[in-house]
Amino acid sequence: MSTNIEQPTSQTPAERLRDVGLYAPGDAVLSVRDLNVRFNSENGVVHAVRGVDFDLMAGKTLGIVGESGSGKSVTSMAIMGLLPTTAEITGSVRFKGKELLGLSDKAMCRHRGSDIAMVFQDPLSSLTPVYTVGHQIIEALTVHNPAMSKQAKESRAVELLRMVGIPSPKDRIKAFPHEFSGGMRQRVMIAIAIANDPRVLIADEPTTALDVTIQAQVLEVLHTAQEETGAAVVMITHDLGVVAGMADDIMVMYAGKPVETGTVEDIYYAPRMPYTMGLLGAVPRVDASQKNSLVPIEGTPPNLALPVTGCSFAPRCPLASDACLAGEPELWAVSGSEGHQAACIKADSLATDVDVHRIFHAPPVPVSKFDGVPRQERNTVLELRDVKKHFPLLKGALFKRRIGTVKAVDGLSFDIREGECLSIVGESGCGKTTTLLEIMEFHPAQQGEVVIGGVSNKVATDAKTKQAMRKEMQMVFQDPTGALDPRFTVYEVLAEPLENLGMPRAAIKKRIMELMKLVGLQADHVNRFPNQFSGGQRQRIGIARALAVNPKLVVLDEPVSALDVSVQAGVINLLDQLRAELGLSYLMVAHDLSVVRHISDRVAVMYLGKIVETGDVDRVFDNPRHPYTRALLSAIPVPDPEVERTRERIILQGDLPTPLDAPKGCNFATRCPVFAALPEAKKEKCLTFEPPLTPEGNASEGDDQEFACFFPDGELDADMLVVHA
Amino acid sequence: MLKYLLKRSGIYLVMIFLTTSAGYFLAVSSLKPALLEQEKIPRPSPEQVTNSFRLLGLDPTKNPWERYVDWLGGVITRWDWGRSPNGAYVNAEFTDRVMVSTRLFIASIILTLVIGVALGVYSAARQYKFQDRAITSYSYLVHILPAPIAYFLVQLGAININEALGQRIFFVTGISTPGIDPGWPAFVDLVAHYAVPTFAMTVFGWAGYQIAQRQYLLDNVNADFVRTARAKGLTRNQAITRHALRVSFIPVAQSIAFTIPAIFTGGFFAEAIFAWPGVGLWSIQSIGMQDVNVATAMLAYGSVIFAVGAILADFATTIVDPRVRVQ
Repeated sequence: MSTNIEQPTSQTPAERLRDVGLYAPGDAVLSVRDLNVRFNSENGVVHAVRGVDFDLMAGKTLGIVGESGSGKSVTSMAIMGLLPTTAEITGSVRFKGKELLGLSDKAMCRHRGSDIAMVFQDPLSSLTPVYTVGHQIIEALTVHNPAMSKQAKESRAVELLRMVGIPSPKDRIKAFPHEFSGGMRQRVMIAIAIANDPRVLIADEPTTALDVTIQAQVLEVLHTAQEETGAAVVMITHDLGVVAGMADDIMVMYAGKPVETGTVEDIYYAPRMPYTMGLLGAVPRVDASQKNSLVPIEGTPPNLALPVTGCSFAPRCPLASDACLAGEPELWAVSGSEGHQAACIKADSLATDVDVHRIFHAPPVPVSKFDGVPRQERNTVLELRDVKKHFPLLKGALFKRRIGTVKAVDGLSFDIREGECLSIVGESGCGKTTTLLEIMEFHPAQQGEVVIGGVSNKVATDAKTKQAMRKEMQMVFQDPTGALDPRFTVYEVLAEPLENLGMPRAAIKKRIMELMKLVGLQADHVNRFPNQFSGGQRQRIGIARALAVNPKLVVLDEPVSALDVSVQAGVINLLDQLRAELGLSYLMVAHDLSVVRHISDRVAVMYLGKIVETGDVDRVFDNPRHPYTRALLSAIPVPDPEVERTRERIILQGDLPTPLDAPKGCNFATRCPVFAALPEAKKEKCLTFEPPLTPEGNASEGDDQEFACFFPDGELDADMLVVHA
Repeated sequence: MLKYLLKRSGIYLVMIFLTTSAGYFLAVSSLKPALLEQEKIPRPSPEQVTNSFRLLGLDPTKNPWERYVDWLGGVITRWDWGRSPNGAYVNAEFTDRVMVSTRLFIASIILTLVIGVALGVYSAARQYKFQDRAITSYSYLVHILPAPIAYFLVQLGAININEALGQRIFFVTGISTPGIDPGWPAFVDLVAHYAVPTFAMTVFGWAGYQIAQRQYLLDNVNADFVRTARAKGLTRNQAITRHALRVSFIPVAQSIAFTIPAIFTGGFFAEAIFAWPGVGLWSIQSIGMQDVNVATAMLAYGSVIFAVGAILADFATTIVDPRVRVQ
């Protein structure tokens, strides 16, 4: 194979391997040296992993952090020997001193699952659908312990399921994967991984596909699993919060290469590589009212099919100079802290007193014309009064019988004033998206009233009123790729809503140029197709399309959840700026509470189709009264190791119940940590009466709050509280 | 399960009744056996034709509705599916024909399935290697080759073998030699008649299963759950055979369930070329002979076989896929 990729180091790989090998600590369970992975693709050789070195000590946790395409998953697959045979892997991976690279599939199988085990990202597709979970756990035991008796294997499987927190494991062992929820399946995956007491456990984005409350549960299970087995853990994630509390060491990867390594304190409190600094500044914090803009990292990661000649981050780095482009910097030790390495020639000049917001030119916090106006004096742009959406649950082939009702949205009332952002938060299945659909539906036959810009759905019987409403309100969708027609140029995408309004051609053209500038895209890119843009740029196009008709209200459905952290910050800043400049109101649905806190003025927490707590965002987040809000907030990991290690978390038990089994009294009683600790006499009240939304605080000062709980100050059940010492 | 089966059977019974009735009306209004009688020598008078047909229950003077009522009455009360224009009873000939078709097809269908699925798995496990390319190219080639030509080629081959060896090893047509002694000579004669059609239909029949099984398995070879199985410590081949194979077999099992009853419906080309007068040939001939009752009976039979296939397919799916539960 001929590659023209230049070796950036002055040493040959063999020399380097020999040198670093000498210093590899003797007690490392896993030592990776100069790991390189290349794939042949249609566009040439993609150098996906470029020289990864690390040592994993027994019982320790290493966090590998990076954005999509940074090579973190490929690294883990290379260690496991699970890459396709077409991948070219060089370097060294040693388990307790034994070389694993180059082993045959069969020889590697002796290590996989017994010495090194792995937990994958998507629990829904990672279990074989046609076998029981018991069968799949027992299989892992059989492979490595052929002599084990059937009874012993079965009791071990039950024990494993109990360890990962699956209720009544004796019965559940006979269940099939589809009978489990996503969180439960991830627990089964962890049970399979720890079945043979592995020395190394690799978790590749184990919680990315899960809800925050379930994420907290699964992270807790991983923590228990590590304690039980004493395994060393490699935690791969894009979320800096997830690893903050768990990891001992962190390796930040960019463009297939580690760019900064060190202890978790080094990385979070004294980062020396501009990329790490940007990454940390790009994530909003859920635990603090943030009045700064986020740090945007402009540009996109380099194409790894092209040779790297300078620092791979240089094109996006605000501090880059000519020296950065002359040869790729290696990981150099940072002066003053042992074990801390950064791949930046300016690392030593970037001491702790550097203001990352200034380096990355974070925009100033935009000021809206509505900021000084009290909420009561602003006009209402959207109002919902007792909106309900009940789906009948039918049974029968020919004659359908109604056997129940799914109350997807059950009596929702709220309003949005000019210039403010209301966010609806909650677990998946709580009715957030149905609420948005009900607002967009805008039909007289709906249950409840929706008033948009003064027009009620009850009077919207003709198409003209509906069109007027659509002009007031536009939507931005979650997946920017799916929401844009791939055969439309950006011009056509943006012109469509304007043509619909009957605007003349010249005016449309002028408006499109304005829009492109408004969302930070180059005006001469209007004739490109969506696939020629990056994810963040596509979302900007989506925003421009929504703004084309000058709406007052923009509905944002998970606007940044499909984007990488560094890109996400730019889009959030844009949304903030547009709201201030154009006086827009937002209704946002998001699962990331940090983003919600950063962007919103008000928040509504939904549980099983009902709002359980609502009010001013800072007030609700700083002083949550409803036990569900408290649990939800405590489930969000904070990118701060100190806080993560000491804080108390509420780990809810079980999953969101289906809206079909909604209990009679308080919906939340089945999972409530307060309810569990209540004396029997008081429990009765929760089970029979539905708690109404009770106001608290002063609405005129903009710090009002309403919550639906009888015992907001009740003790929390000790079983659901966890503190890691 | 039983309740579900009864319910499904009830629905299919209604469906079979409707298709058969519609088929009867189509046949009775388009097939005119009286025209063929005109070609007989000596030519019968129209009155003679009408009379003889009236005796056979094929009265051409009645309107379609009246004939339908008569025919349906016979089927329901006496299980009598009527007679052909030449006087033969449909019921009597039916059993013989089905037996001939079944004997002709049963071995080749089973072989086709086993070989097709096995080759599909084998070629998927060696994707893009020489073996896979050879097997899959052969399947595509056979897929586009018309069946009659393929069968003729095999017949030619068998004749060449016979000539080369100077004695008749294989019979290329017919079911058996008349007047053969029972016992061992009869068995040898059966094999000599059976080998050529079975070989032809198998070798040119497995392509569909091979392509389908290969495709479904390849869809699953890189599935996340196969990766999980490998991460447990199974080799790639173990992971594929234990995990991917069963999942990929689900859609194939369905198509197999539809094929098994098709053994009894026969096939026109094979029956015609190898001169095994079975159900397939009979169906086609009945149209040529303007035979209303046989054409309708064959349509009804086909519908029943389809219904059995559909129920078997449901069964097969429930057996291999635990996610499907019958309620």
